[in-house]
Amino acid sequence: MTPDRTYFSAAWAVAWRYLHNLYTKPAVFVPGLIFPLFFLAAFAGGLSAVGDTPRFDYYNFTAFQFCFILIQASALAGVFVGFSIAGDFEQGMGRRMMLATSRRSSILLGYALGAALRLIVVWVIITGVSLLAGMEVRATGYDLAGMYTLGLLSNVVALLFSAGIAFRFRSLQAGPLMQMPVFIALFLAPVYVPQELLTGWIEPVARLNPVTALLNGARSLMAGDPTGILLAYGVAFGLIALLALWALRGLRRAEVAG
Amino acid sequence: MNEESNGIEVEGLVRQFKNGPRAVDGISLTVEPGEIYGFLGPNGAGKSTTVHMLTTLLPPTAGSARVAGLDVATRGAEVRKVIGAALQEAALDPNLTGREHMKLQTALHGLPKEERVRRGDELIERVGLSDASDRRVGGYSGGMKRRLDLALALVHRPRVLFLDEPTTGLDPQSRASLWEEVTRLSTRDGVTVFLTTQYLEEADQLANRVGIIDAGKIAAEGTPAALKAEIGRPSVEVLPVDPARRKEAEDILLRFGSAVPAAGEALSVRLNEGIEELAAIVRSFDSAGIELASLGLNEPTLDDVFLAKTGRHLEGAGEAESAEMPLPASDPDEQAGPA
Repeated sequence: MTPDRTYFSAAWAVAWRYLHNLYTKPAVFVPGLIFPLFFLAAFAGGLSAVGDTPRFDYYNFTAFQFCFILIQASALAGVFVGFSIAGDFEQGMGRRMMLATSRRSSILLGYALGAALRLIVVWVIITGVSLLAGMEVRATGYDLAGMYTLGLLSNVVALLFSAGIAFRFRSLQAGPLMQMPVFIALFLAPVYVPQELLTGWIEPVARLNPVTALLNGARSLMAGDPTGILLAYGVAFGLIALLALWALRGLRRAEVAG
Repeated sequence: MNEESNGIEVEGLVRQFKNGPRAVDGISLTVEPGEIYGFLGPNGAGKSTTVHMLTTLLPPTAGSARVAGLDVATRGAEVRKVIGAALQEAALDPNLTGREHMKLQTALHGLPKEERVRRGDELIERVGLSDASDRRVGGYSGGMKRRLDLALALVHRPRVLFLDEPTTGLDPQSRASLWEEVTRLSTRDGVTVFLTTQYLEEADQLANRVGIIDAGKIAAEGTPAALKAEIGRPSVEVLPVDPARRKEAEDILLRFGSAVPAAGEALSVRLNEGIEELAAIVRSFDSAGIELASLGLNEPTLDDVFLAKTGRHLEGAGEAESAEMPLPASDPDEQAGPA
């Protein structure tokens, strides 16, 4: 069945409500912004001496940390969508949407659209704060587009993961299940220093962690020296393909559960 | 039943929950196009589970159901296009206004943009929420939420409407107002209405036909009049003014029927022939010179039907009987919600 006007109309309706609630309830929007700003202040500010470590050859520590904050903020914005989905099911709005949409995957698309639009605001703020904090940008316009696209793909990955959990549990009590794995994956990547400087157990873990590919790709784009981009995009699209199945199966579970 | 029809056909429908009982245990029923079908039963009888299956919110474990000629199990997306539903809990977003809900619902159903505002305003006015339409729903009363929920169920002009206990918890005025709207939908717009309720009077007054469900099975089905006629004849209850003449009064009554339990000091008989014996009864008391403090004719109720079919009374039967329905009017309480 090909998506029609009704399908996209429903998706936009879900996105509109998501954004409406987000921007009329600061308690929902602000945490998603506070997290990355806190990490930016802590890492790029408090830990800036890490940039002086021998063999730390990235050109600017704030720019180095900004790439992590970009991926982290994008992923967390995706996780928060899972919270919204679970909340909607608890409140009964999930059922309303299931009843009103002829094709229910439009609900998932709607949340994804809403999350992407929310992300623009988050990006503007963290980029602005990073520039004020002394971030030097060596990327060309194309590089920047590529880097922010990696951010968007990270958002979609985390969104599909948390949506899959939200559809299965349909309760905010599943919040830790959505948040913790994403947090752990993010922090098991080379957050503070380049991958080459990692030693001990974290080195092989980081090497196998898919977030590392995204992070390295974003950092190389920021430096205006794109390397490992195919790997980064390949990992991102691979995860999206897998997690889209996870999320859609979760949606089917929610349908069967009533 | 073809796809142009607005009816409902259910055959052997079953819903078994994991490690639980059969909430719906092989029910079969038919609802004719444009009919109001009352689905009556106590809490936990399987009413809501049936509605959830018919509205594609829950897949059946076994059996089949066709709504507007479409199989709910295999053509769910098409079914959802032609049905509207207001479920037991009005699922509303407390942060959105009434008007914003209409905007959301019309978009979810894919109404053309130019039609959305017009349709939303039309329905808000129809359910009497124009004055409150720009207020957040969090401040609405229960009756206002129910009316908004009904309006939301109608945005896409559904051919079949499912109402799951739409008046539970409503004050008599809001209930009467909703009844009026449901009747209008059926008679004027030709919408088929599948209405679950535990209120006997609601089923009696609104429904063209009634299905009584108990423990997941259909216990009885038919028009309210036919169901009542099926279980018995009317009874007459009298209370003599002079208690000393109670025995004489009883002898007179027993000439017309068999004794049945009566309230307090009253005497009651189930009539042998029917309502036409009433005049003869009055004449008999008159000629015997027995003065009566009261004389009443009791028709069987749907609760009597339920009792006859299941061996117990329907929960809330007394509540329904005591619910006197005033004419629809504006509800001052509902206008007093926070702005």
